[in-house]
Amino acid sequence: MICRELIDIIDDYLDAVLAPDVTQELERHLAECAPCGAYIATYRQTRRIGAAAARVDMPEEMKARLRRFLAENLGGA
Amino acid sequence: MSTEDRALLARAAAGDGEALETLMTRHASRIYRLAYGITRSAADAEEVVQDVFLQIVQKGAGFEGRAALTSWIYRITTNTSLNKRRGKRRELETSLDELLPRYRADGHRDGDRAFLVSDWSGTPERELLAGESRRILEEAIDRLPDHYRAVLVLKDVEELSNEDVAQIVGDTVAAVKTRLHRARMALREQLTMRLGARG
Repeated sequence: MICRELIDIIDDYLDAVLAPDVTQELERHLAECAPCGAYIATYRQTRRIGAAAARVDMPEEMKARLRRFLAENLGGA
Repeated sequence: MSTEDRALLARAAAGDGEALETLMTRHASRIYRLAYGITRSAADAEEVVQDVFLQIVQKGAGFEGRAALTSWIYRITTNTSLNKRRGKRRELETSLDELLPRYRADGHRDGDRAFLVSDWSGTPERELLAGESRRILEEAIDRLPDHYRAVLVLKDVEELSNEDVAQIVGDTVAAVKTRLHRARMALREQLTMRLGARG
């Protein structure tokens, strides 16, 4: 396996959906290739922190404004 | 859509405050998260939430599609958010091609060795999500095209399957997987350029 091939299937590897023989081949490459080792570690961490950063809460005052907006526009609440 | 959801929407459309409150409790946060993820503006996301609620209450009871209410809401939110962003802040979006890995002719990575082996993944997550690192991360997310951010939020935050994301954004599963991969690679590249250099 070469670096390009590894990076193309990195999500499937991290999601553990690769066939066992492909996983073995990928891990053999990883054991010998420091750039790919660094790439996969930072890619995995990117997935984690990207998701964590996007988990925003709707502010309570915005919910209150939404209630008022719906009451005015739909005649309820 | 379930019979219960259809009844809830019909009550909300008739002005039943309790039904509206139930809809809000169940869906407002996820609508806001997705709208903010795409628009990257609290003010725009608030307008999207209001617009989406009007749409689901006014059109929901007559909705004939087979999709679940939540999927339908995700689809409306995605479309409304992308429409809101149309023509805005394009200057921030970097060409993704510049942020993808480069390869030599033999398929191995190309570039400065120190950059290629730069590994900031050992930095604790709470540290990466605070201060200067957080700012770098937010800027990297800002630079992604809107429709890339849409699939990132649907997949990584809402934790939907690739199939569900594809249905919501109206694309193929293969296209969604490619977009996710390119978005994550572009984020990783930007983070490594800036966090790796500090390590």
